[in-house]
Amino acid sequence: MSLIIDGLLAILAIYLALQSLLAPRLTQSVFLFFAFGLALALAWIRLAAVDVAITEAAIAAGFLGVLFLDALRDFAPRIPAKNEAVQKQYSKSQTKSLFLPRLTLWAGLGLFLLIALEAVWKIPEGGGLTAAAGTLLPESGVENPVTAVLLNFRAYDTWLEMGVILIGLLAVFAAGGKMAYRKPGVASQDPLLRQVILFFTPVLFLFGAFLLYIGKTGPGGAFQAGVLWGAIGILLHLGGWPFIALMPRWLGQLLLTVGLGFFLVLGFLFMAAGGALFEYPPAYAGILILIIETLAAISIAAALSAIFALLNQIGEEADEIESTT
Amino acid sequence: MDVFFIIVIVFLLLNIVMGLFRVWRGPAVADRLLTTQLFGTTGMAILMVLAGYLGELTLLNVAITFNVLAILLVISLVKVWKNKKGETK
Repeated sequence: MSLIIDGLLAILAIYLALQSLLAPRLTQSVFLFFAFGLALALAWIRLAAVDVAITEAAIAAGFLGVLFLDALRDFAPRIPAKNEAVQKQYSKSQTKSLFLPRLTLWAGLGLFLLIALEAVWKIPEGGGLTAAAGTLLPESGVENPVTAVLLNFRAYDTWLEMGVILIGLLAVFAAGGKMAYRKPGVASQDPLLRQVILFFTPVLFLFGAFLLYIGKTGPGGAFQAGVLWGAIGILLHLGGWPFIALMPRWLGQLLLTVGLGFFLVLGFLFMAAGGALFEYPPAYAGILILIIETLAAISIAAALSAIFALLNQIGEEADEIESTT
Repeated sequence: MDVFFIIVIVFLLLNIVMGLFRVWRGPAVADRLLTTQLFGTTGMAILMVLAGYLGELTLLNVAITFNVLAILLVISLVKVWKNKKGETK
């Protein structure tokens, strides 16, 4: 019976993915992509991967949505519909320069498909490492197998992932420059917006902390909590309290790197004590994982809100330049 | 009882399919955003029904995640597009 749900969900997800790529208008693409995120989250749940579903919900519905809307605003005024000459020129130059990117994209896509096929082909029978992870679970200090794998058995991978977020932020810094970032904002006068922000900030904080803590025993964890806390930063920025831009430079840098840094220092400390990198003593593993996850969530939240703050500031400045000319 | 859950879930999924029409037509960004909010609400409803169907209460956490983050999109749209008049593009 549940085959109906799964079939409908699969058709919906693939249809939405195709349409969000092929839709003629940018706004259609973006909003179809939101719907795709929802279908994907539901699909993850049908695959019994609730951890991934929460991450998908948090990132697709929250962070990516805000970034996409911001990008839409920046793209919209570039091609005024009235000025046909400009539009024609734009599309002409586009068709010319698009051949090489298209070729690269298709080649990359084909390569990715081949790699994916090979990975599926090579899936070992009997669940691979699932049984091994299950037997070692009591030593990991947590009860949720996903958290155990992410922060204990494969901590090195998670550490690298946190580095990827930081590198993304560095790329945004490099592209945008620091001047726009440190521009202080004006607090919003809109009473409705103020009330919404005042109401949702504690809710977001509490639920993020809840997800962080529940990660020990069930679905949840640092990345999900980081996105929710990052949403606080985005909300405050939209309301005119850009605290990321206003805080002293050293404090911002500390917040951004504390997760990655603590993780690394801890890993090397245990290495110096004679173990392997990221090998925690089983007695303290639970509390250590909680500390690492908290600091990681803080760093992720700071990085996400800094990315949004910087991109949004650039957009505002571009608008000002346009309006003055 | 299972049949009831499945009928409800399929009905809600079909609701999303119907809503796609508004995303496709538009015409304004606000229309599309409201449809996305509808998807979020419908998705939460599906999640809650699924939680009952599968007997797994952790699914409610996913629903709350969708719920608390839905406000971000609305505020972002209002703030970001505030100064633009012709948002039909």
